[in-house]
Amino acid sequence: MSSVVLSHISKHYGAVKALDDVSLSIADGELVALLGPSGCGKTTLLRSIAGLEKPDGGVVQIGGTDMTHVPARKRPIGMVFQSYVLFPNMTIRDNVGFPLKMRGDSKQAIRARADELLELMGLAQQGDRYPNQVSGGQQQRAALARALAANPSVLLLDEPLSALDALVRTRLRDEIRRIQQLVKITAVYVTHDQGEAMAIADRVAVMNAGKIEQLAAPAQIYDDPSTRFAAGFVGNRNILELRADGGMARLGKAFAVQAPAGSSTVAAFFRPEDVVVSMTGEDQQAMVENKMFQGLLTRLYLVVEADGTTTRIYADLPSRQAEQFTQGSTVNVRVAAADVRVFPAD
Amino acid sequence: MVQLAGKIGRWAFLLLVLLYFAIPMIAVLFYSFSGRWTSNVLPDIWTTSHWGEAFADERLRAAFVRTVLMAFAVLILDVLIVVPAVYWQRVRNPRIRILAELSAAIPFVLPFIIIAFGILKFTGRIAPEMLGTPWIILFGHAAIAFPFLYWAVDGAMSAAHVVRLNEAAMTCGASPFQILRHVVIPNITAGLAAGGMLVFATSFGEFALVQILAGARFENVSLYSLDLLNNTTSQVEKLAVLTIVMFLVLFAISIGVVYVNRNRVSLAVPGGRAMAAEKDL
Repeated sequence: MSSVVLSHISKHYGAVKALDDVSLSIADGELVALLGPSGCGKTTLLRSIAGLEKPDGGVVQIGGTDMTHVPARKRPIGMVFQSYVLFPNMTIRDNVGFPLKMRGDSKQAIRARADELLELMGLAQQGDRYPNQVSGGQQQRAALARALAANPSVLLLDEPLSALDALVRTRLRDEIRRIQQLVKITAVYVTHDQGEAMAIADRVAVMNAGKIEQLAAPAQIYDDPSTRFAAGFVGNRNILELRADGGMARLGKAFAVQAPAGSSTVAAFFRPEDVVVSMTGEDQQAMVENKMFQGLLTRLYLVVEADGTTTRIYADLPSRQAEQFTQGSTVNVRVAAADVRVFPAD
Repeated sequence: MVQLAGKIGRWAFLLLVLLYFAIPMIAVLFYSFSGRWTSNVLPDIWTTSHWGEAFADERLRAAFVRTVLMAFAVLILDVLIVVPAVYWQRVRNPRIRILAELSAAIPFVLPFIIIAFGILKFTGRIAPEMLGTPWIILFGHAAIAFPFLYWAVDGAMSAAHVVRLNEAAMTCGASPFQILRHVVIPNITAGLAAGGMLVFATSFGEFALVQILAGARFENVSLYSLDLLNNTTSQVEKLAVLTIVMFLVLFAISIGVVYVNRNRVSLAVPGGRAMAAEKDL
């Protein structure tokens, strides 16, 4: 059963179309990440679920009930904000217990639930401190505890890690996923960080210009992007603009793929790890322009002279394998046609 | 050496400023204790009789109580109107901001005497029975004093990021009233206290509106002082007592505001947040 159903949601800010007929179903206990660049409408969509934005059109259902015109305070949601937004006048424990206090729970029940959540979040020692007395990571965990306090049906997270430093970010990302699975809550997670979305979500909705371009499992989005935007936004990819001759788009002898019907120019996308590099062979020749060690992998920057044009691509190789390719040397490159995605160029 | 000279200069400047403010009050205080004061720096004869007479004066006591009660009533009315209005303007309807700001500018642009005549004309036409009653003073004072509270509360709400707090509280299931009570007001106490003190002081020392709208039917401390000046030459010392008492009342309120906000002030200065956290830990 779908826990959250969005049907034909649209929202305008003046002439700007923030959401353009967006529909999305999220199953019980599922975590869907809304991924996209700034201004793509992902936060507006999240806020529409929360009731903080009123869509111009469409229907928001939570747990099978139409919530489109229900105010935020009456929706069965918990929300975590980018900038924590803990109440500065309350201790961490009081912040966590606030939704229960508003619901009219007894003091004992509030205390017990707040302590349970503080324990779960590893904040048992910080309960009596004020928000400005704990770290950013601890504040965000307290905000997560507050969002879960009233046992909401849906947890909404609006770029919850973007204000944190890299180390805390990774740790807290894993913690959010662990807790979401532990309490089996449906969650919507907004982020512009594709790594974060891929790591945390059951499904990722790639958004652009107020629309969902692709909704699929992270691996599918990574391996098989369905639109040019999704291909360009998700994963590090080589992006080449190629001419289509006789219905085929080619990069010399490196690859030849079927061009979309009627396209004279195509945008070809392929991942750097799909570029096969060898010292010998009959494939396309390329020159190693630069080499960058990145730990497990080494990135080779290659210059390809093919069909009278110079093209630059890059390839990621296991560092041990990359040792044999020196800067300035000539190598052979090829990409399997199945690993190249082509879309009309315009 | 240069540092020492700078330090001495700063202290000297501070001392000058303190003297500038303190000398008039000290002179009034001495005058209230003077039995006779001719051509010397200090009074020739000291006495406490003026203080005794002032506190024994039933009319003065009544005027004082009336003034304090009115100032509190004006403060409460302004808080009840301004806080929800500014909250609503910030979280729901920013478009009314321009109207609120225009209204808040009126008491600074028009002299109180013009406002008083405006209220007199307007009330005389729509509710003449209110003329001469404390109600018209209450509403008049609330109208002229509200900008002090408006600007202070508006600034405090901006500093507290009330829009974000409001959204967070809404997603926690809080109603607008609960948000105001549990989240907004506790986070704007500094602005509320500062603005509230100015509202209290405005009503406490106001003269023009009371004189024009109620006159002797609502004698406050200002009207009483005027009467002392107009009708007798032998009770100017009593006026000095009154001035000192009024000063002390307002000074005590100021000290109270500073005391209530002592932590919040420290949070506003660079590094103050860390210092406050360290102290609380």
